[in-house]
Amino acid sequence: MSVAAQSERVLDRSRSEWLTPALVSLLALALLAATVEIVLDGAVGHSPLIPKSPQIAGWLQGIGERLGYRVFLIAILVSAGAYAGLIALARRSRERVVVSKRAALLLIGALHLVVFAGPILLSTDVFSYIAYARMGVEHGINPYTHGPLAIAADPVYQYVGHDWRHVATAYGPLYTLLSYPLAPLGLKGALWAMKLEALLASAGTLALVWRCARARGLDPVWAILVLGANPLYVIYGLGGAHNDLIMLLAMMAAVSLTLLAPQSRGRDAGAAAIVVAGALIKATVAALLPFMVLARRSLAPLVGALAALIAGALIGYAAFGVHGIDVVAALNRDAAFVSTDSFATEIAHLFGKPGVFPIDHDLLKAALVAIVVHLMWRTWRGYDWVAASGWTLLAISVTSTWLLAWYILWPLPLAVISRDRRLLVATLVVQALFIAHQISPLLAPVQ
Amino acid sequence: MSDTSTGAASEGWGWLPGRLRPRAVESPGSGRTRLIETTLLILVAVLLSVATINDVVRQTHVNHRLIADLRTWREYTGHRYHNLSIEQELFGRGSGREVVCGNTSPGAPKARTQLCLAIWGSVVGGRRTVHGGWYLPATVEDVRADRYGCFGPASAGLCTR
Repeated sequence: MSVAAQSERVLDRSRSEWLTPALVSLLALALLAATVEIVLDGAVGHSPLIPKSPQIAGWLQGIGERLGYRVFLIAILVSAGAYAGLIALARRSRERVVVSKRAALLLIGALHLVVFAGPILLSTDVFSYIAYARMGVEHGINPYTHGPLAIAADPVYQYVGHDWRHVATAYGPLYTLLSYPLAPLGLKGALWAMKLEALLASAGTLALVWRCARARGLDPVWAILVLGANPLYVIYGLGGAHNDLIMLLAMMAAVSLTLLAPQSRGRDAGAAAIVVAGALIKATVAALLPFMVLARRSLAPLVGALAALIAGALIGYAAFGVHGIDVVAALNRDAAFVSTDSFATEIAHLFGKPGVFPIDHDLLKAALVAIVVHLMWRTWRGYDWVAASGWTLLAISVTSTWLLAWYILWPLPLAVISRDRRLLVATLVVQALFIAHQISPLLAPVQ
Repeated sequence: MSDTSTGAASEGWGWLPGRLRPRAVESPGSGRTRLIETTLLILVAVLLSVATINDVVRQTHVNHRLIADLRTWREYTGHRYHNLSIEQELFGRGSGREVVCGNTSPGAPKARTQLCLAIWGSVVGGRRTVHGGWYLPATVEDVRADRYGCFGPASAGLCTR
């Protein structure tokens, strides 16, 4: 090798030694700045993006300006771009440490704390959670038979989304029972408790993702960065204090238990029981169970699941009667909803239809069944069951006619620890399309 | 690798034909399945991307129409108010016909007597054509029973007074 070529290589290496970390720092700052912008502007209130809420982030007022679609969309696009760059750089440079454990934790911690300190973002769901809790505890009304309209005089009622005022809870009995102790805290107290619950659930999920990634020989820093810095996870999931984060915690606790060495029937049974407990929070996570059973090929997960199901059903029945355990009715009701952000609606528009027709619901269900059967067969023949579960959760969100941002978070923790990298790519592509679908107010702001 | 060498995973499943027995790890021969899956995934991704772009373009066109409706209301009434409401359901969401309502004097949204205009047609010079309208008392929603002072062909059958 010539002296010139050698010096060129040394120069390249030294350039990348300072350039990559500098770029990573810049992207991390952009991600944080965009999140801070959304939170500070959101704290001002009077925004179509911020649900009407009791004043919980008043101490942040006066710094930002009212959050409009334009600023929000620019901030989301900046976040998404910075996130994509960050995880690509951290991935590309695996041969040497670009993002240290400390830096990753610092960034994720900062993003979480900024959102935790701010107002409820982008969704009224948390007020429904509180309303259902207050119905049961303060008013003695069964939230599985009545909607929040039954407590129209309660202070929380005015904050519940209009579409949900007549609707009985669709969440599992375990979640409803978990939310009951928060009801006596008052509206603001319950709101902060819900936010704290979401924060702790997210921290727990990240810790379990770390553990699972290590157990599978993957880079744990990269895994938590992909999950914990994800803009949809932070802004929509954590920002809305969604109970999906508690479901994800149960999901990752179950997966983590199956990855612990040595494998044991007790652990398999425990993992399946945790999946059922998760499904008693939000039913979607039950999608893991068939893959777990097929991968283990023993009765232990079935026994664990059955025991947890019986215990859960008894508790649910004792607390809420037969409606409290009729998960199928709640799922059927929700499956009929249609949102403008769903891919089903977008495809209907593409083919010149005004929206989703009943036949489309049937076609989508058939497609989902076909995907699940294929994945079950693949799992039986040795495919990674964690990836199969992730694909199923992704397929559920893509084929759902009622798609919300936090639904496309479901497969993400599994995708980052999956042995099939296609799952992560597919999940991130779906998230990118979801964000892209929001941008029309940026192209033509209606005002 | 033959299916008989799947080790512990096949234990107890020997009675099944080889190709149906469980495996602990995937057969290296599963490359073809993976190729088919990847091809399908790419096709789905293309479909979803095209549908998303189509929807963004469609919604942008709708937004341009709504911008023209707001401008039409402001120029028709001579008020530069920003708190106007747009109703897309009255004539059908896909009809391209909208009803824009706003106060007739300064005040909080819907705090004054409101003037509603039924607007449709193509956008010309950033505006569309007003085909009629009606008034609403303060604080009420746009329902048939509360409309009065109706004018223009668009209000036919939509007003009681």
